[in-house]
Amino acid sequence: MGKLRKLFAMLVILPLLLPVSAGAQDQPITLRVGTTYIMDTINPANGFYGYNIRPLWQDTLVEWAGGQNFEPGLAESWSVSDDGLVWQFKIREGVMYSNGTPLTANEAAWSLNWVIDNEVPSLSGYLSNIETVEALDPTTLQITLDAPVPDMISSKLLYVWIVAPQVWENVTGDDITTYSEYDAVLGSGPYILKDFQEGEYMIMDANPNYWGGKPPVDRIIYQEYANDDAMIQALLAGEIDLITTVPFSGTQPLLDAADSVTVSISDYFSLEELIINSSPEGTQPASLNDPIVRSAISHAIDKQQIITIAYSGYATPAATFLGPAYGDFHNTDIQDDAFDLAEANRLLDEAGYLDTNGDGVREYSDGSPLEYRLYAPESSTYYARVIEIISNDLAQIGISAPPQVLSDDSLIALQPDYDSDLIYWGWAFDPDPAFAVSIFTCAETVDGGWSDSGYCNPAYNALYDAQSTALDHEQRRDIIWQAQQMIFDDKPYIPVAYYNSISAYRSTAFSFDPNLAAEPIKWALFHGFSIK
Amino acid sequence: MIRFDYLVRKVIFAVITLAVVIVFNFFLFRILPGDPVKLLFRNPRLTRQAQEQIRVQFGLDKPIWLDSEALQSGDLETAFDSQFTAYVRNLFQGNLGISFATRQDVGEVLGERVWRTAVLVFTGETLAIVIGVVVGLAAAWRRGTRLDTAALVLGLLTWALPTFFLGIILLILARGVLPSGGMVTPGYAEQNTVAYWLDVARHLILPTITLAVVSASGYMLIMRSSVVEVLAEDYILTAKAKGLSTAQILRDHALKNAMLPMITIIALTLGYTVGGAIQVETVFSWPGIGRLIYDSVAKQDYPVLQGAFLLLAISVILANLAADILYSVLDPRVKVN
Repeated sequence: MGKLRKLFAMLVILPLLLPVSAGAQDQPITLRVGTTYIMDTINPANGFYGYNIRPLWQDTLVEWAGGQNFEPGLAESWSVSDDGLVWQFKIREGVMYSNGTPLTANEAAWSLNWVIDNEVPSLSGYLSNIETVEALDPTTLQITLDAPVPDMISSKLLYVWIVAPQVWENVTGDDITTYSEYDAVLGSGPYILKDFQEGEYMIMDANPNYWGGKPPVDRIIYQEYANDDAMIQALLAGEIDLITTVPFSGTQPLLDAADSVTVSISDYFSLEELIINSSPEGTQPASLNDPIVRSAISHAIDKQQIITIAYSGYATPAATFLGPAYGDFHNTDIQDDAFDLAEANRLLDEAGYLDTNGDGVREYSDGSPLEYRLYAPESSTYYARVIEIISNDLAQIGISAPPQVLSDDSLIALQPDYDSDLIYWGWAFDPDPAFAVSIFTCAETVDGGWSDSGYCNPAYNALYDAQSTALDHEQRRDIIWQAQQMIFDDKPYIPVAYYNSISAYRSTAFSFDPNLAAEPIKWALFHGFSIK
Repeated sequence: MIRFDYLVRKVIFAVITLAVVIVFNFFLFRILPGDPVKLLFRNPRLTRQAQEQIRVQFGLDKPIWLDSEALQSGDLETAFDSQFTAYVRNLFQGNLGISFATRQDVGEVLGERVWRTAVLVFTGETLAIVIGVVVGLAAAWRRGTRLDTAALVLGLLTWALPTFFLGIILLILARGVLPSGGMVTPGYAEQNTVAYWLDVARHLILPTITLAVVSASGYMLIMRSSVVEVLAEDYILTAKAKGLSTAQILRDHALKNAMLPMITIIALTLGYTVGGAIQVETVFSWPGIGRLIYDSVAKQDYPVLQGAFLLLAISVILANLAADILYSVLDPRVKVN
C-alpha cells in the first residue's frame, strides 16, 4: 500500500517537475523574448506602446535602423522637389500583405489618408503639414506638404504603419480606436500575429510572403513578466532567449553568466534631468530664478556618483539635453559645469547669499532661506536614491532641499500651475531631435503641453521654428546646437545622465549584432543575426 | 432553523453596503490627483488633439458629479449629464465600461482574470487551511512542549516573512526546474488539453507554496488558541474521564467547537479570493485580478479599478452573509440576539 502510494505520487509529481521538453524534431525555431510590458492594445490607431514590436507586422515607408540611420522600407527610394514641398516615393514591386493580397502605392496612399482623415490618435501627430497623399501609379506615391520639413524621413514616416484597406474600410467611427481583431495588424511585415493575451504573452509566426526574404526564425514569442528579477532568472534558466530592455539592477547577474548570455549596451535617446521651475507664473522662490543660484546648483551635483549608485554605472553624465545617441546633433562644444562644491560656494558667497543666522542654510536678499522642494516620481525606484544624493550635495552649499518622492499623477497635477521648485525626471525621446527641442518652447507651457519646466523664451522659440523648416542638415544642426547652448545657459534643465539601453540574449542558441541594444528588433533580426 | 427576520435583516444590510460601495467606488478614484489621459500615455506621440479626442470618447470632458451652472439655469438634462450618472446608468445595464488602457470591455477582462485568480488562491488557501488546522490542533494538544514552541516560532517567522522576498527566493532556488512566471508556457499546448493543465500545474507550484507558507501561520495561530480555549472546558475533562482516545476527543469534541472562529476566517478569506494575492501574482507574473489591480492603479485606469473593486466588494459582502448564516446554523446561540 505504502509503495503504491509512493509510486502514484511520483507519477503525479514527476511530470510537473520536468521542464517542457523540445519534443518532436519538426519543432519550429522559436525566439522567446522577455519583457515587462508587451503593449496596451494591438489596435494601430490607438496603441501607444509596442513600437519595437509593431514593425514586425506592418511595414513603414522608411525603416529605422538604430542610431541616426534610416533605411528604405516599403519605399525603395525617394526624391524631393527643390522647394521641399513635393515628395515622391518609389514603392517596391511585388509586395504582398501576409494574406497574399497585393500592396501597391494605392494601398500605401489609402493608409496615410486614413490616418489623416480620421485623425487617428496615435499616428496623426506625425502627419501634420501634409496636404495631399496620392498614388500616381502602382509604384509611385506622392506626398505634398504645406511647408517644407526636415524630418520627413527621420520622424514623420518612421512610425506610420501601412495598414490594410481591406480591413479598415469596414471599421468606422469610434470602432477605429477600439477594433482589435488580429487582422487589425494585417500588413506586409515579416511576422503575422497569431495570439495575444494581454498581460501574458504574444505569439507571431513568420510571413512566407515577406518581401525582404524568409524571416530567420519561424516563431517569436513575447512573454510578459510583472517582475524584473523573475525575468532575469528566466533568461539565466533558458526559459527565454532575449530581453530587449534589461533593467540596470539586473545587468550584473547577466554579465556574470558570460558563458551562456551576451549583454549588449548602447547609447540611447534618453535624458534624466533636474527640472528647475522656470515658469514666469510658477510658485518657485525668486532666488531660484537667479542664474547664479542655478549655476551653483549645477556645480554642486555629483553626476558621476549618481550614475554609479543609482544607475549601477549604466549611464553617462549629461551636459546637454541631446545625448551622443543623436550623432552630430549632440552639441560637443558644451563644457559641462564641473562638480566643484568650492566653486558653487564661492558663486553664492560672491552673489551675497550668506548664512546670516548660522542655521546652515543661506538666505536671499529679502531674508528668505534658500529652501526648495525637491521631488521625483515614484515610477522609477532608483529616483529616490538620486534625489537623496542631490539633496546631500545641495546641503553642502547651504541649500536646503529635502527629497520627496511623489506619485506620477501628483507630479503631473503640479504642472498646469507650475507649483514646484526642483523635480528629477526623465525622457525617452524619438530618434529625431525635433520633439526634444520642442519641450522648451512657450507653446508647450499650456495645459496639456509637454513643458515640465515652464521655460518660455521668444529667442528660443525662434530657434525651434528655424530648425523645423531648415532642410539642410548642417544648417539644422547649427540651429539645434544653438538651442542646446541656450538651454545650457538658462538652465531650465540641469541634464544629469543619459542612461544606456541594455539588451541580453542566450548566446548558446542565437547570435546578434553587437549593437543589438541600439537597434529595433526587426532590424536586428535581418542584420547580423544567426542561429547556432 | 434560521429565523426569517434574522435573514431579512442581514440581506437588507448587505444591499445597503453594496449601494454605499457603488457610490464610494466612483469617487475613490476620482479624488486621485492628475490626469488619467496624460498619465496613461506620458508619451510624446500623444498630441493635444489626440488627448482631447480620448477625453471626449471616455466622457472625461464632462463634470464629475453634476454641472452646477446648468443646474442653476434650470437645464436639468445638461446638469445631470455627468460622469457619475453615466457610471450608474451603465452599471444598472450591466456595463462596466471600457478600459482606458487596453480598450477592452471591463466585464470581459474581469471574467477572464477571475477564474485564474480563483485557481491560484483556492489552491494556495486550501493548502494553508489544511496545514494551519492540523499544526494548530497538534500544537494546542501538545501545548508547552517542543512541538508547540517550534510551531509557534515557525508560525511567527513565516507570518513576518515578506511575500515578495519569499517569492523571489523560491524563484531563484527553483531556477531551471520550475517556470519563472506566467500561467502557461506560451505556444506549448492547446487550451484545455491534458498537456495544457499539466503545464498550468507546473506554473502553479511556486505561487501556491508562497501563498500557503505566508497564510498558513495565520490559520495555525487562531486554530491553536481556539483549541487551547476549548481544551480547558469541563466537557473535555469529562471526555477524558470517560476514557476516550486522544483522536476521539480532538475530533468529536475539541475540533467541532474550535472550528467556529475558523469558519468566519475561512469564509472571509474566500471572499477576498477575487482580490487575489497582489504580491504573489506580481512576483510570479500570474495574470489574475491582483496584478490587474496593481497595473491599473499605476495607469489610473478608472473603469477597470471600479469593476475590480465592485467585484471584490460583492464577493466580500456575499462571503460575510454566508458566514453569518453558516454561523447561526452551527451555533444556535447566535440567533438569540
